[in-house]
Amino acid sequence: MMNIFLAELADPNVSIPLVLPEMLLALTGILVMIYDSIRPGRRRVTGTISMVGLILSAVALFWIWSTPGQQLSAFGGMIVADSLRMSFTAVFLLVSALTILVSTVWVEREDVHAGEYHTLLLFATVGMMFMASGNDLVIIFLGLETLSIATYVMAGLRRRDLRSNESALKYFILGSYASGFLLYGMALVYGATGTTNVTQIALNTETAQFPALLLVGAAMLVIGFGFKVATVPFHIWTPDVYEGAPSPVTGFMAAGPKAAGFASFLRVFVLGFPLVVGVQASEFLHDSWITALTVMAILTMTVGNIAAIVQNNVKRMLAYSSIAHAGYAMVGFVGAGVAKTATGRDDAIAAVAFYMLTYAVTNLGAFAIVTLVARKNDRRTEFEDYNGIGFRSPVLAFSLSLFMLSLLGLPLTAGFIGKVLVFRPALEAGTSLMVILVVIAVINTAISAYYYLRLIVVMFFRERTEEWSQPKISTALAAVLAITIIGVFYFGIFGNNVIEMFSKYPVDVQMR
Amino acid sequence: MDFINQYLLTILILVPTIGAVAIIAHQAFWKDESQLKWLTLGVTVLNFVLSLLLLGGAQASANGFSFEQNSPWIPAIGSNYHIGVDGLSLWLVLLTTFIMPIAVISTWHAVEKRPLAFYAFMLVLESAMIGVFVSLDLLVFYLFFEASLVPMFFLIGIWGGKQRIYAAVKFFIYTALGSLLMLVAIIALYYLHLQATGTGTFDYVTLLGSISSGSLTFGGSSAYTGTLLFLAFALAFSIKVPVFPFHTWLPDAHTEAPTAGSVILAAILLKMGTYGIMRFNFTLFPEASREMAWIFIVLAIIGITYGALVAMVQPDVKRLVAYSSVAHMGFVVLGMFSFTEQGMQGALYTMLAHGVTTGALFLLVGFIYERRHTREISEYGGLSNVMPIYATFFVITAMASVGLPFLNGFVGEFLIMLGMWSSTILPGSWNQIATMAAGTGVIFAAVYLLWMIQRVFFGKLTNEKNKSLSDLSLREIGIMAPLLFLMVFMGVYPKPILDSSKPSVVEIQRIVSGETKGGTVTELNIDGPEGR
Repeated sequence: MMNIFLAELADPNVSIPLVLPEMLLALTGILVMIYDSIRPGRRRVTGTISMVGLILSAVALFWIWSTPGQQLSAFGGMIVADSLRMSFTAVFLLVSALTILVSTVWVEREDVHAGEYHTLLLFATVGMMFMASGNDLVIIFLGLETLSIATYVMAGLRRRDLRSNESALKYFILGSYASGFLLYGMALVYGATGTTNVTQIALNTETAQFPALLLVGAAMLVIGFGFKVATVPFHIWTPDVYEGAPSPVTGFMAAGPKAAGFASFLRVFVLGFPLVVGVQASEFLHDSWITALTVMAILTMTVGNIAAIVQNNVKRMLAYSSIAHAGYAMVGFVGAGVAKTATGRDDAIAAVAFYMLTYAVTNLGAFAIVTLVARKNDRRTEFEDYNGIGFRSPVLAFSLSLFMLSLLGLPLTAGFIGKVLVFRPALEAGTSLMVILVVIAVINTAISAYYYLRLIVVMFFRERTEEWSQPKISTALAAVLAITIIGVFYFGIFGNNVIEMFSKYPVDVQMR
Repeated sequence: MDFINQYLLTILILVPTIGAVAIIAHQAFWKDESQLKWLTLGVTVLNFVLSLLLLGGAQASANGFSFEQNSPWIPAIGSNYHIGVDGLSLWLVLLTTFIMPIAVISTWHAVEKRPLAFYAFMLVLESAMIGVFVSLDLLVFYLFFEASLVPMFFLIGIWGGKQRIYAAVKFFIYTALGSLLMLVAIIALYYLHLQATGTGTFDYVTLLGSISSGSLTFGGSSAYTGTLLFLAFALAFSIKVPVFPFHTWLPDAHTEAPTAGSVILAAILLKMGTYGIMRFNFTLFPEASREMAWIFIVLAIIGITYGALVAMVQPDVKRLVAYSSVAHMGFVVLGMFSFTEQGMQGALYTMLAHGVTTGALFLLVGFIYERRHTREISEYGGLSNVMPIYATFFVITAMASVGLPFLNGFVGEFLIMLGMWSSTILPGSWNQIATMAAGTGVIFAAVYLLWMIQRVFFGKLTNEKNKSLSDLSLREIGIMAPLLFLMVFMGVYPKPILDSSKPSVVEIQRIVSGETKGGTVTELNIDGPEGR
């Protein structure tokens, strides 16, 4: 044991290029913070610096991605550069960039101190990126805390609004509680396997000291991650927090942190607790978490959808819909867990990443419009407020309809390809449990048609009784709409390139 | 010309969508709404003319499809853009392109609200419908099948009647639920093929080849796999048809939809269901089809009788026509599940005839509705006195719908009954009993239509408001003329359609009835009424 540590001390196996995207973004965050303390209140400048930082980070990411013969792990195996990390990181960067653009409307309307906001957003993104790139429980936890603390503050940014305060406080208390579970679980897993490295955990399952400890640890991890990705029954915080938080932040939280949660959730469970045939502890553990997650997926979809039906507030509806979508993504997750071949597993992981990408694009587009319609203090967010705006603001209404149809998963939109991709691995396994899971998922999709269509119905089929002042679409918002609409169609019709890119670097854990 | 022939089907799919974009662009620059209908009409007529090139016909390739195109769509998923037509889909494509211009003319004065969106949705709908009939890749088929929902949803929801929101949402959710389960079955087929042969595929032709060569069977993983897959497909199509217990969306959707929407719904959208059963259920799951046939035959007979009986008591003309659709589609299902050549040819023929006739009936109902803004039968009476042309057209169309010889309804229904009579799918004399039960439905059809005609057109002109009604205008006569011509033509001379659909239908019949190629086929010595 000692020797291993010494060996790593001697050669820490540092690779700057491998963490370049994270470093660039962290530096940008610090730069924004310093600039804001010297010249406060310059929203455009801090926003521009943040965008440049995100773009540089994305360039660095694609550089790693497209360099052949790239080193796959560094820092003693703590950071990896596999397709799981790459694809999810791309999603985070896109989410942050879109969020900054969407927020331009809102920071000006509410007169928010944008420097802080941009800094927090960048740090949250760095945290998410480490959650995806960390192949070690410690790095994952650090990333998660960086993300969480930043988002707690962001949820409460509207300081004078009671709902926003409630949102932040609720998120903070429950989030810390969940973090506690996560940390405890990590400690137990470490106790059982003697390592925090995910790859090593997979290898050590055979020789686990106390298999029961491993099982309890895994259960704690399910709770911790389950909270982050808002699966039922750990979802109770979601609607209140999402409703209370400012609209752009809500959009960000539904797309970014959720995807980040899935990235580490996937890595720890699919890669850390794989099925090792012939080892009793491993078989039992694998069986348990597959069953647990299957049940959670079913509950998540069903509760999310049924609760969404009865909502009268668009933001709340989208919050519950985001819960349902976590359920659909978990179908792909479970599919990755039961995959019989390494390729099948990698494809399933890529499918979940692609699903989060399609969800992020669609959802942020929807939130951009919700932000625009909401006006000051998020006053106009009820379904009734959308009555009959269909032909008064056709661009907004048709875009919003497109996003709803994509969330519903209608063909030719991104949501359809995403759904097909996550349902596939589960059906490939072919066991009756998996088939039932997928059937429940599609029945849920049909149920969800009701509330997604409801927004279209109120916009187009009802008459407007009160006045409607055409909201002004700023350049930044027009850019968001253009990117998201093109994204929805591009991923839905020409998604092939992206899917292939997402499964380019197989993860470094072999199936046994 | 070669270029057009090579990509003809893609062109047919794209022309309406490009037309939709064009009229939106036209409005953005000129803002002249009066030209919209002309442009839309131009696009649909162009598409009809182009579709006639299909009749010229390229040589069918070995798999029986012509005008094929096959290129990768999303290789990472394993889906190809594979399209083609055979004798079965050819006529449905032609029906679509033929009905569309008629539907557009029928809206000439009816669409006052948001004409741009209306015509754009109509055109997009046409693209989706053509796509459904020509897709040979299951995922692409699913794509078009679902895509056709959205424009129809808007057409009903924005331009429909009082209960339009309820009808539109019901229509969407019913159909979406069925087709989503089909999606599961489609993906499952991909993996069953992967396990059986080593390559996964959504390609219909490839799947068919693997099934007929025996390399893909559904007995392996579970005894019920084939049946479950069959049911998943059948549910999607049964809702669309609609087969008896799944029909409740149809009267609502039909009644609330604007006239053009009802015409398209009845003439084309319903056919997607019967087409799907015949194309996919029969050939991909022949064994399950035979096992399940009796259920569908029973449901079809219930549908025929129930549809007719409910139609009889409808106070609303449009609802009456809607329920008559349930009955007619029951006939189509019955014919298909007889698994005989006559029955299946008759089913296809009835699909086409029903498209023309019921489309015409909805148009006629629309004409009177535009004049009086009511469809209550009790509001009318003695109309033949003031609207003789209208009354004549209505009676001819109703007769075609009832199945009077020399009109198009007769040929199909007669073939279906012949087919069912000689079928061997049910044990013993149940086949004949089923035929007789269905035959009763024809009598009911005569009852509800003739009774309605009597109440609406004959007797004394009692209602004051009806006295000043004007007869059909030239435009309206112009819309009806091609439909009436087809009703007579298809009734007198069915040979060209039946001949050209024969090879494809016989091939499907061969697969579904479990006969092997070159095996002995016991065929009854009945050639059908048209004396082929």
